[in-house]
Amino acid sequence: MLGLFGTLNLGARSLQTQQQGVEVAGHNLANVNNPAYARQRLQIATSNAIPTAVGWQGTGAAGTAINQLRDTLLDRQMVAELSVQGSLAARQRALQFAEANLGERIDRNAVGTDAAAEAGGVGSSQGISDAINGLFAAFQSVSTQPSSLTERQALLMRAAELTGRFNTVAARLSDLHKSLDESVSADVSSANALLAEIARLNDQVYRAETGDGSPANDLRDLRQQKLEELARFAPIELGEGPGGLNVSVSGQLLVQGTQVEDTIELYDAGGGQLLVRTATGSQPLNLTSGSLAGTIEARDGSLAGLRTALDASAAGLAAAVNSIHRTGFGLTGATGADFFTGSGAGDIAVNAALLADPALFQAAGVSGNHGDNQVALALAQLADSPRAALGQQTFARHFGAAVAAVGQSLAGVNSQQTSQQAVLDLLEARRNSVSGVSLDEEMTDMMKFQKAYTASARLVSTIDEMLETVVNMKR
Amino acid sequence: MRVSSNTFPDSLVTQLGRLSAHQVRLQTEAATGQRMAVASDDPVAMRRTLDLQAQAHSVAQYQRNIARQEELADAVFASLKNLQKVSDRAGEIATLADGLKSPEQLRAYAAEIDQLLHQAVQIANTTNRGDYLFAGTRTDQPPFIAATNADGQVASVAWQGNATVPAAEIAPAQALAIQPPGANSSGAGPRGLFADSRSGADFFAHLVALRDHLAAADVGAVETDRAQLARDEDNLLYHYGLNGALQSRLEAAAAGMSGQSLALESSVSREVDADLAQTLVRLNETQNAYQAALQTGASMLRLSLLDYLR
Repeated sequence: MLGLFGTLNLGARSLQTQQQGVEVAGHNLANVNNPAYARQRLQIATSNAIPTAVGWQGTGAAGTAINQLRDTLLDRQMVAELSVQGSLAARQRALQFAEANLGERIDRNAVGTDAAAEAGGVGSSQGISDAINGLFAAFQSVSTQPSSLTERQALLMRAAELTGRFNTVAARLSDLHKSLDESVSADVSSANALLAEIARLNDQVYRAETGDGSPANDLRDLRQQKLEELARFAPIELGEGPGGLNVSVSGQLLVQGTQVEDTIELYDAGGGQLLVRTATGSQPLNLTSGSLAGTIEARDGSLAGLRTALDASAAGLAAAVNSIHRTGFGLTGATGADFFTGSGAGDIAVNAALLADPALFQAAGVSGNHGDNQVALALAQLADSPRAALGQQTFARHFGAAVAAVGQSLAGVNSQQTSQQAVLDLLEARRNSVSGVSLDEEMTDMMKFQKAYTASARLVSTIDEMLETVVNMKR
Repeated sequence: MRVSSNTFPDSLVTQLGRLSAHQVRLQTEAATGQRMAVASDDPVAMRRTLDLQAQAHSVAQYQRNIARQEELADAVFASLKNLQKVSDRAGEIATLADGLKSPEQLRAYAAEIDQLLHQAVQIANTTNRGDYLFAGTRTDQPPFIAATNADGQVASVAWQGNATVPAAEIAPAQALAIQPPGANSSGAGPRGLFADSRSGADFFAHLVALRDHLAAADVGAVETDRAQLARDEDNLLYHYGLNGALQSRLEAAAAGMSGQSLALESSVSREVDADLAQTLVRLNETQNAYQAALQTGASMLRLSLLDYLR
């Protein structure tokens, strides 16, 4: 038998337990909008029973642990899927910039370089392809009036517009390449900071749990949050070790328990190509997902392809036009001059001498024949001439293919991103159903504990009255 | 499934985000009339549209080339008409100058022929947009230079053009030359308008001979001149015919390009344009869904157990 004092203790323990329950509910309520938080539950167990003449008698209950409700499988899946999401988001962002920088936009109501084409109702693409078409149209115009300075002037303006667009797009894409390099660099720094943070949290979790073995719930939440942040940068593999979670990337152990074993760094793999490796390694990490992989893939894949195609278009155009133009004669009898200067999209320009004096444009095939248009006509016919250097495509088609390739990549990533988001939404919903805080539940729990607290208080006051009765028996 | 406090707001935010994005897309389609604008909207359609636009640019340029060639053909035709008048009058005078005319009358005819010569040289040096029409490709200088004697009469007319004529494309790989060269003594290439070795035409030389024979009252020689002028007339008729044929060809080419332009517009429209009716119906549906989501979401968010606790 517990006796009055024993029962009083039981009441006091019960009060303490219910109060703890209210506190846990309060902690849950306070973290209802904390996305990293997993709801906690007070684990209540009956206190040790004592033997009595009539059998084992209970001594009430006490809180034995505060557990968090987490599904480890969901957490691991979330880490993996966030890594895929990080890769897709990075690729999507890079390709969106590339597409925007290209400036190819169909606008049926636009006023571009060719008013007649717009009058025909096909609109303009307002980009390089529009300017390529405009250049060849201008060569045609000159071929109809080879001695006209007005037509020559118009041609040179069109050519300057085209080279200007080539230069602008090339500069934008070069800037984008640099931005992506900076983005990779920033991601590497962030990832290293997170590795250090995870090691520190491993240490804190280890210390906190070493004492009584009860789980350091809030620290574990924080560590899971950091792991998910890290997964956005690189695909991570997790393993349990004696000192806490071990974190590896591409099989390279980076965090072992409380120690950061290695970090990741950027290095020049040759030709200015920045790749990622471990600080102690010499080979690039085989990153299959995460923003680092996505950014590098977009930079060295679609963006590099686009820049190559742009340079090939500009260089091919300059070479083809120059080889024909050199053979012609200007109105002054001048010959042998190039029409374009430069070697790629970045530096292609119209020969400054021609811009200064349109009479120098070499439209004639015979010296002194101002009305001769052989060269102008040959230049105009380049528009429909497939070029071996461009895969047997015309200039316009080659550039159109490059535009479509970027669009295809972006459309593919957009589609993957949508389905990946759906996967993440589903996982998040699943995780919320396990770990998310419900206000209704917590309020109900709070009321439940409150009622129990009131009842326990009534027990204590009842025992108090009983004790008073016992004490007053002596009077 | 257990529903936490954030499950519903998170889900609502996601749904509203999707519906908003859908509305933005449909509204843009309705405002621009286009279902696509950038390559990622529809890469294949973008590629086809760029190709179609390149073709449209070519067609538009061919239409401009045709218009320019038509202008040249009109200018040549006007010159031919003027030259016809000169040729007709010269032939008439050659016919009138028979043995019944007095030497004085024949000299008067000679004076008229000299004026016709001046007029013919002027026609031969016709310009269009600053270029000499019948100079071949040496368009920067008069193709015919008249040398005059002490009396101011045309003694001879020298040719300083060439027999090459510039051709402009009126369709892919179809270049067309409109203006004939003033003279061609090579026996190959386009026929000369005023002098041509194949037809035996040499208008200026024949007029000079006629004038000189009239002035000398050499009626027998005038008879020969008349036969030579007939060859010039035949050559002129050949150029009339050629000009007419070229004009017809230009008209046909213009009609062809116009049809091609319409077909291209229709093709671009199929690739790019939005079906406005469908777009508006879908926009309406999406707006309704958005409104329903907001309404139901707001009413559900308002409800809480707290409202029922004292």
